[in-house]
Amino acid sequence: MITLTHFLVVSACIFCIGLYTVIAKRNAIMILIGIELMINAAILNFVAFSKYDKINYGGQVFALFAIVLAAASVAVGLAIILNVYRHYKTINPDNITDLRD
Amino acid sequence: MQDINIQLPSILDQVLQSIPYFKAELALIIAFLGSILATLFLDKAWKQSSFLITIIGIIVSFVLSTQQFGQPQSGFFGMLIVDNFSVYARGIIQIALLICVIFVQQHFQNKKFGKNLGDVYSILLTAGLGMNILTMTSNWLLAFIAIETVSISSYILVGYFSENKKQSEASMKYVLFGSVSAAIMLYGLSLLYGFTGNLDFTSFEHIQGLIEAPKILLSIALLFMFVGIGFKLSFVPFHMWAPDVYEGAPTPITTFLSTVPKIGALVLLARLFEEWTSSSFFFSELVLILVSVASIVTMLAGNLIALRQTNIKRMMAYSSIGHTGFLLMALVGNLASEPQVLLFYITVYTIMNLAVFGLIDTLEQKIGSAQLENYQGLGKQFPILFSVFTLLGISLVGLPPTAGFIGKLFVFTSIFDLFQFNNNRYYLILLVVGALTSVISLFYYFKIPLFAFLRKGEAVNILPTKSTWIVYIISIILGFSTLVLGIFPSILLSLFK
Repeated sequence: MITLTHFLVVSACIFCIGLYTVIAKRNAIMILIGIELMINAAILNFVAFSKYDKINYGGQVFALFAIVLAAASVAVGLAIILNVYRHYKTINPDNITDLRD
Repeated sequence: MQDINIQLPSILDQVLQSIPYFKAELALIIAFLGSILATLFLDKAWKQSSFLITIIGIIVSFVLSTQQFGQPQSGFFGMLIVDNFSVYARGIIQIALLICVIFVQQHFQNKKFGKNLGDVYSILLTAGLGMNILTMTSNWLLAFIAIETVSISSYILVGYFSENKKQSEASMKYVLFGSVSAAIMLYGLSLLYGFTGNLDFTSFEHIQGLIEAPKILLSIALLFMFVGIGFKLSFVPFHMWAPDVYEGAPTPITTFLSTVPKIGALVLLARLFEEWTSSSFFFSELVLILVSVASIVTMLAGNLIALRQTNIKRMMAYSSIGHTGFLLMALVGNLASEPQVLLFYITVYTIMNLAVFGLIDTLEQKIGSAQLENYQGLGKQFPILFSVFTLLGISLVGLPPTAGFIGKLFVFTSIFDLFQFNNNRYYLILLVVGALTSVISLFYYFKIPLFAFLRKGEAVNILPTKSTWIVYIISIILGFSTLVLGIFPSILLSLFK
């Protein structure tokens, strides 16, 4: 029997993996993948919780919108990273530090 | 499934009935589509067509939203709230957006680059749409969609031109930081949904669920939720993107980023704050403490770091972070008084920032630099410009007789009322820090007249650019309006009755 707890544990694990990928930044594309993992963890949560919300299905609707928004922001992110690559010839955020205090 | 088939006609009826509440936003959507089409087809014949459509769209939207004044309603099954608070906020947003569009048009008018300016106008319209929706919702789904709409539009605005290294770096930092914040906020919202089973944060089930939720998990969920809002408002510790992006982005885009997105996020937070802090349960106190601490830390960090900046845009970025802290304080003060105090401060903040960035843009076009040391001795060459700049500095510090002083006075008064009412020590700390940081801010705002009037510098060659005068005149008018509003604050206050 797979219970709600299983879903929550899996989503918490995915979220932590995503957060680690973001914090251990080596490559801007990897950061985007980490962001995608975090969003998917949240989506999993929404769908799992939505089992108990049979009137409005708010969680499932939220999940659908979250998928669309994640795709949009990743598309913009990739375009911007491509632009950075043209100027710097690298996408390692540690090497791109012209703006700083 | 059977139930939905029976309900479907009534659901559709209610959706159709709700459309009139959405008129102002529909005008923006139509203008958005129109400006894309105009960019594609009409701009070849007449270059300003997309600009004209954008301006008309914003004005129509403004008129339509003012018509909703005085008739509180809610549409789309309670997802959309049309009340006076949202009408005021949308009015401010649309006027600020209009001024930003004009700044953008003037700034890029005589620059040669291979990109179409019409796209920028349409993106500015979607950002305005997202902001509008953010001011009129109490539903997490709609709020998240609105925040993402604004964020994605802002990423494109910052990264679109990419004329040089700095601009592309700023846009990358912005998009990565923003997406991470949005993802963390989404996870927090999913936890909140799990506790309550309802997405409307004013509903009874939502509050009930928050009361019953386990404390540790609830704290994590609220913290995660505040990460997203904190990113949009750029309060400490989610402010790291602001100075880099403000410095890197083209000045008219910085003008937009420092004013419009903050209004919407602040109105959402005000609704949340008012609804959630009215009880005495754990989550209410947690929200109050989180906002108060964020306000205190933001005021201190923003104003202290601004002291050692040499680039005026970067300095204004830290100044606007400091003002965000003050806006959060106004939010707390909002509990004691009518929303006029908050709205007054938001309006004054917007006017001051628009004017300051307009002047920075004018100077940048004329002398080609935004470094403070390049302003040396320019007071003689541009006496009016730097006099207004100094006046705006006085207003930003919060000294009489300017509107900044009146705004700060109202906020301090309402916080003091709250303190006398329930002796919470957080209110006292807020008051002390607010007063202290106002004094600190004096030192960096007055660097501008110090460099311009008192330091000697050789005369600067004025770059041969035309067409900065519209931006210049708008900034001068806005600058003097801070003086007028400081002497007669009742003009604005009677509007916000």
